[in-house]
Amino acid sequence: MKTRKIGADAQSSDISRTEVRWRSESSQRIYSVKLVEALQRAIQNSTPALSISAGSRAVRDVADRVLAMTAKGRTRWSRAILASRRRLSILRRHRKVKKSRASRINRRSKPLSAAAEDRTRRLPAVEKRIKVLSQLVPGCKGAPVTDLLEEAGDYIAALEMQIRSMITLTEIISGSNGERTG
Amino acid sequence: MEPMSLTGNRPDEPPFESLMFNEEIQRLIALPPAPVGNASSFTAILELGPTQAMELLHWPEPSESSNPYVNSVDDGAVLFAPTSSANTGYGANCLAFSAGENGSSPGASSASSPKVKKEIVPYSASDWSTWTHPAVSDTAPESKVPGSTKRKVRDQLDKGSEKKKKNESSQDAEALPYVHVRARRGQATDSHSLAERARREKINARMKLLQELVPGCNMITGTALVLDEIINHVQSLQRQVELLSMKLAAVNPQIDFNLDSIFTPENASLSDGNFPVPMTWSDIQIGGSMEIYQQQGHFPSFQHSVWVKEEGSSFVMPEASHITSISSANGVPLDSRQLKMEM
Repeated sequence: MKTRKIGADAQSSDISRTEVRWRSESSQRIYSVKLVEALQRAIQNSTPALSISAGSRAVRDVADRVLAMTAKGRTRWSRAILASRRRLSILRRHRKVKKSRASRINRRSKPLSAAAEDRTRRLPAVEKRIKVLSQLVPGCKGAPVTDLLEEAGDYIAALEMQIRSMITLTEIISGSNGERTG
Repeated sequence: MEPMSLTGNRPDEPPFESLMFNEEIQRLIALPPAPVGNASSFTAILELGPTQAMELLHWPEPSESSNPYVNSVDDGAVLFAPTSSANTGYGANCLAFSAGENGSSPGASSASSPKVKKEIVPYSASDWSTWTHPAVSDTAPESKVPGSTKRKVRDQLDKGSEKKKKNESSQDAEALPYVHVRARRGQATDSHSLAERARREKINARMKLLQELVPGCNMITGTALVLDEIINHVQSLQRQVELLSMKLAAVNPQIDFNLDSIFTPENASLSDGNFPVPMTWSDIQIGGSMEIYQQQGHFPSFQHSVWVKEEGSSFVMPEASHITSISSANGVPLDSRQLKMEM
């Protein structure tokens, strides 16, 4: 983190930055507006998408992309979401086949130095979980653990905001429709 | 990292103090690798956190700076001082570091430091004076024989304030790109283990942050279990997003194109924060993810009509039957009346 030189309040500023970014009402409002616009455009573009799964997947992709755009920043997951459009989805299908074959190899590259690795990280348990987490958070496959943890924190906060605004949107839209027809 | 001439800019721009501090620290950090060949072994002496780096900047430069600069800087230093309680040991480290690093005459720096330190309240002058001379004398042979004398200094200072350093290291070590770690008693002091230990501390700090972010992780001890919780949380969030996207897809054909009327009540309801928590909703989706809803806020108060409508439109929802049972759980339908009038 080259930008955080004055780290006297490094931890607190870290949390507060994530919190402020994703918990503020303004960011949620911005996201909701963008989401509605994007959804309208998507609806106009793809009218024949009548299947439920295709429709929901489309909405989810739109929502994720708008979320990544709202992030507009230095997080790996947002860049990965924006980068992975149709061309990469094909590649991902091929990669998935390969990945399933490759078993989880227990890597012991460096010999354990006596005092250094007295933490439990070298345990396969923690390693496995780190791997699972890296698969969950988009764009963090080969990332070092520190970056991965930070990305995970930002991603969690962003997802929560996304859920909040999607709920509110569903309410409003269906509420307005209900009011009109009912 | 641009080497800034502080004296030129300082008196002109007092509001940009924080910026200056950034650049000062950058400049300072750019220096240590240059004069000292083995950066890790040198910096290993001091457990230098950002607060100490701040002091470091101020101590060696009292002679060059004008008075207003010193005063403003002191205010800044006083600001940082309260954050780290036990500073006397660090102060000595700073002085040794600065004396060796700047290459200027150690006498000059030690002589000037008492002047500056009088202006800064938290640091006791006596500690400084006792530490300057032994530190100064150590740094001179230090540059010649890095291995042995450094350990001497290290052991000295180590005995002095070992505990405090342990506490501070985990906080400060992750902030700077150059990690300044102290070798603790009985632990290996080669550069590899130091770097690994610094890295471990970074990781632990991030894990703590994540623990605070994910609800229900505070009680759990052990990296593996905490990671389990985090993974579960992320998975539940992603599942929620998928479910919600299904709902939105079902609702979508009915999007009203009159965006203004949609968003004024939404803005009002969002800012009110007046949403009751739908308990059954969370039970339906994923067992035990209720904390999310408590965090997020609540549904708008016109949920009543919404859920009834939901039953009709969302034929794909398995929980539609459950949802209608919520319909009675709401309070004031103010917003629904608002919407009625605007639609």
